[in-house]
Amino acid sequence: MSAPPATAVTTRGLVKRFGTTTAVDGVDLEVRTGELVVLLGLSGSGKSTLLRCLNGLHPVTAGEVVVDTVAVHRARPAELRRLRTDVGFVFQQFNLIGRLTCLENVLIGALGRVRGPRYGLLTWSARHKREALAHLDRIGLADQADQRADTLSGGQQQRVALARTLMQGPRLLLADEPVASLDPENAGTVMDLLLRVCREDRLTVVCTLHQVDLALGWAHRLVGLRGGRKVLDRTADGVSRAEVMEVYRRLETATGMAVA
Amino acid sequence: MNALAPPRVSGPGGTGRPRPRSRPPLSWRRRVLVTLGGVGLFATVASWWYLEFSPAVLLDGTDAVARLVGRMLPPVVDDPGRTVDLVVETLLMALLGTVIATVLSVPLAFLAARNTTPHPVVQAAARGVITFCRAVPDLVFAIVLVRAMGIGVLAGVLALALHSVGMLGKLFADAIEEIDEGPREAVRSTGAGRLAVLVSGVVPQVVPSWIGTFVYRVDINLRISVVLGFVGAGGIGFALQSSLRSLSYDAALGMVLAILAVLAAMEVASVGVRHLLLQPSARHPRRDRAARWIFGAGLLLATGFAFAWLRIDPLTMVTSAPDVVAAAMRLVPPDFGLVGGQLWEAVLQTLAIGVLATAGGIVMSIPLGLLAARTVSPHPVLAWAARGLMLAVRSVPELILAVVFVAAVGLGPVAGVCALGIGSIGFLGKLVADAAEEIDLGPVEAVRAVGGGWWQVLFSAVLPQVMPSLIGSSLYLLDVNIRHSTVLGIVGAGGVGFLLYEAVRTLNFEFAGAIILIVFVIVYVIERLSGWIRAQV
Ligand SMILES: Nc1ncnc2c1ncn2[C@@H]1O[C@H](COP(=O)(O)OP(=O)(O)OP(=O)(O)O)[C@@H](O)[C@H]1O
Ligand SMILES: [Mg+2]
Repeated sequence: MSAPPATAVTTRGLVKRFGTTTAVDGVDLEVRTGELVVLLGLSGSGKSTLLRCLNGLHPVTAGEVVVDTVAVHRARPAELRRLRTDVGFVFQQFNLIGRLTCLENVLIGALGRVRGPRYGLLTWSARHKREALAHLDRIGLADQADQRADTLSGGQQQRVALARTLMQGPRLLLADEPVASLDPENAGTVMDLLLRVCREDRLTVVCTLHQVDLALGWAHRLVGLRGGRKVLDRTADGVSRAEVMEVYRRLETATGMAVA
Repeated sequence: MNALAPPRVSGPGGTGRPRPRSRPPLSWRRRVLVTLGGVGLFATVASWWYLEFSPAVLLDGTDAVARLVGRMLPPVVDDPGRTVDLVVETLLMALLGTVIATVLSVPLAFLAARNTTPHPVVQAAARGVITFCRAVPDLVFAIVLVRAMGIGVLAGVLALALHSVGMLGKLFADAIEEIDEGPREAVRSTGAGRLAVLVSGVVPQVVPSWIGTFVYRVDINLRISVVLGFVGAGGIGFALQSSLRSLSYDAALGMVLAILAVLAAMEVASVGVRHLLLQPSARHPRRDRAARWIFGAGLLLATGFAFAWLRIDPLTMVTSAPDVVAAAMRLVPPDFGLVGGQLWEAVLQTLAIGVLATAGGIVMSIPLGLLAARTVSPHPVLAWAARGLMLAVRSVPELILAVVFVAAVGLGPVAGVCALGIGSIGFLGKLVADAAEEIDLGPVEAVRAVGGGWWQVLFSAVLPQVMPSLIGSSLYLLDVNIRHSTVLGIVGAGGVGFLLYEAVRTLNFEFAGAIILIVFVIVYVIERLSGWIRAQV
């Protein structure tokens, strides 16, 4: 493998519209390899949309997105698929398939590496199964491998989803509010696990979070969005809480009226 | 016998999930209801008059039915070995037809589902194919295929398969449209290819619903395959018809009882399968997996066995495609001129039979269904008896009822009305009973609390609650009955079926094409109309 480029993600003038709503409005962003960037912002400020543009789950309306060396904004479907195998995505709602076992869910992470569709454990090689078990072991759920995913607690499900992402062997990890549906204790556990794993594997991470304190504790860099525009972008060293909270100031219109 | 599960039937697991929707304003609903009642009443009276239906005929018929029943008893099984063979053949035809329909329906469903279709045009085309398969009655497929590929089980199996695509394709596609998109997006985000995303992100979510639909359809197809033999498409129907023709009613009853035994066994088996596969226990993942394995392996074995037993080369499924297409091509261009006035008269008769049978079915089903509902019935024994009666009626195919009534009241539409009307109670009665058991018991208690008696509870608390589902089910019943009344003519019970059967028998394919087209249009319009009405009330 060639040495990774120094910047893992670059966006220039990224715009994403849904009909008449502009969700992301001209964002320039640069994420260095190995960096841990946290996206902050009010609900609806475009954080999820921005993340989804990075691996092409949403096609962009205008602007450029370069991930690794791939120009996502003009990549063909096959190129996008190849890129996605290197980019892990962790969802707020875990997005496990409840009926399948944890092991089967983790194996889904390897789909990008094999040819053709797979259905059921039998269609996977012993090597893949061993690898998936190892990932489950790493996140501490090896004992639950044969259990249906929907029988686990929320925190456990998010850990399985993390194992599925690790199964991909990603170099970049995008996480969309990975702990927002969890209680504080589970949120702490999952976040610790996520960050430890990322540091051990030297992953580049772009993560959206609602918990400012978690962000301040872990991030290398903080990026704030408001109404789809970037309003904060600085290293986390020595940042004050007040400065970060400024991101959450309500949008103001030209007349100064607060918009809810 | 054949049709889509209406909303809230005990059919395939979880397909009837109510969706929140904005209801039209009340005054509009009331106006629609009143209009509907008026039109229904008018149509019933008009049909009554048109068919010259008279209670006297029925009264005369009672004697005939009694004599008939006398001649059926005691039932005999002339040749047990052959009867068993035929029953097995019938069962395997039903299974094989459903399996083939499933194989055809899965890709079609992916093309027809809004969220997996490659293009809206493809979606519309796929939905069109599915609707066509549903709107052409199974026996019509059978008649045409028997002509195209000869008498025998192959035509029957293909007829079952083609018609079943109408239901399986639609319910499979509906299940796909109801999936949670999250897991699918997660699979896509791993870089999986298009096909892999469907197989890993969509299929696991829909499999339970698909299995439920499949099991339900096997059940329906078993009832259909019993009568396919009437038109030479294999199974026990041919022997049954011969013994009816030769007036050996005791032998006929023997066969019907053998079929009922299989149907009852199927009913039990399908409850078992549903329980094992669709209500998995979180605590026994291994047992559930074993159950799935056994079901899958069993199904595969049974399918292989069916091919061998029925002596169908699996390859003929592919090689017979040109024959099927050729048969279809001979139906065009449809020729409406040949019989002229006779054709339109037969079409009107078909509609009148459907309407009158539905009205009669509703009148009989409401009291019976209410008696069968545990929450309403004055006595549990009565409830069980009513349930049992409805189950028994449901397991006798309408065509067999039609043969019995033709024997009792003579050839003609009256026999058809009686057969479909009686058959309706097995279907609508059950739906009424289920609806009445699901009502909110609060209002019942409230009426009781103010001193209301049984009748008052019924009229003030129960009927208002079952009304919406009753209207929906009745419309659906009309849809089913009109579809069935198009084939009753095969046994001389009136309607357009006789002309169709004759047209194919005399190789008048263009004329048969015209009839099929008319049947399709009628069924399609009724289905659309009842769908629209159901959305309004
Ligand atoms: N698929 C979509 N179709 C239409 N509009 C969308 C879609 N996804 C997002 N939007 C709109 O884009 C804007 C940004 O949404 P986004 O989900 O990116 O915000 P967010 O910052 O992630 O919010 P939250 O913190 O609530 O997750 C919102 O106005 C939202 O309504
Ligand atoms: Mg979001």
